[in-house]
Amino acid sequence: MDINVRKRSQAQLIQLRGPLRMGPAVDGLRQAMEEILNSGDTRIVINLAEVPMIDSSGIGLLVRFLASSKQRGGSIKLVQPSKFAIQTLRLVGVLNLFEIFDNDDAAVESFV
Amino acid sequence: MVDKSVAGSGSGFSELLNLSMSATPESVTAITDAISAILVKLEIPESKRFEIDLAVQEALANAVVHGCDGDPSKTIRCRLNKDQEGHIVITVTDPGPGFKPEALKDPHQPENLYGDHGRGVYLIRQLMDEVQFDRGGSEIKMWKY
Repeated sequence: MDINVRKRSQAQLIQLRGPLRMGPAVDGLRQAMEEILNSGDTRIVINLAEVPMIDSSGIGLLVRFLASSKQRGGSIKLVQPSKFAIQTLRLVGVLNLFEIFDNDDAAVESFV
Repeated sequence: MVDKSVAGSGSGFSELLNLSMSATPESVTAITDAISAILVKLEIPESKRFEIDLAVQEALANAVVHGCDGDPSKTIRCRLNKDQEGHIVITVTDPGPGFKPEALKDPHQPENLYGDHGRGVYLIRQLMDEVQFDRGGSEIKMWKY
């Protein structure tokens, strides 16, 4: 999985490409989000447009860091999850925990 | 490491894949991708293929993490069959002591929503049409109609 992190005004934007599943993908995203939170940033946008699959370890990671960022006054917002990603998040009852946006700009600006 | 054999028969029951893998995330990815490629060849519709792919991913991940304690020296077996009725059947067997599926928590309960684990078997049951646990829970058999 490709993981690209960049600062976008008031948020950290994480662009993912590839399946988010157990192994290097989940480990890499965990490390990226730990670094963001440890640096003091709590506003995170994750673009899922090129993520065809999220498994339960990926879901666990997302909700755990959603809780961590919210506890520190921030949040994690999702951009363009695929229909299968939405289906998976809905099946396990966590879809409504996240705000979902059509594009990066809208997600970043929602933090204002 | 993945040892692979592919076979078939004319009786209506086909063994499409029979794999033994070391208990690593890389092997999980390799087998999930191999099964996905077979499902494409079988012209399984995308939505159904996605559901099978994710269920296989979850079953193999559980086998690695819980059945093998993440020990790469242990071996997991995965079989992909098509039964007489044309249903896809996947069996994953691990060397672990098994577990009690009925003891699993409901991930929809408020106290579990933010948990970082405990969704795999629930997902499998939602994604597949029939799920059966054997050998004390160390073998899972899943059907997609």
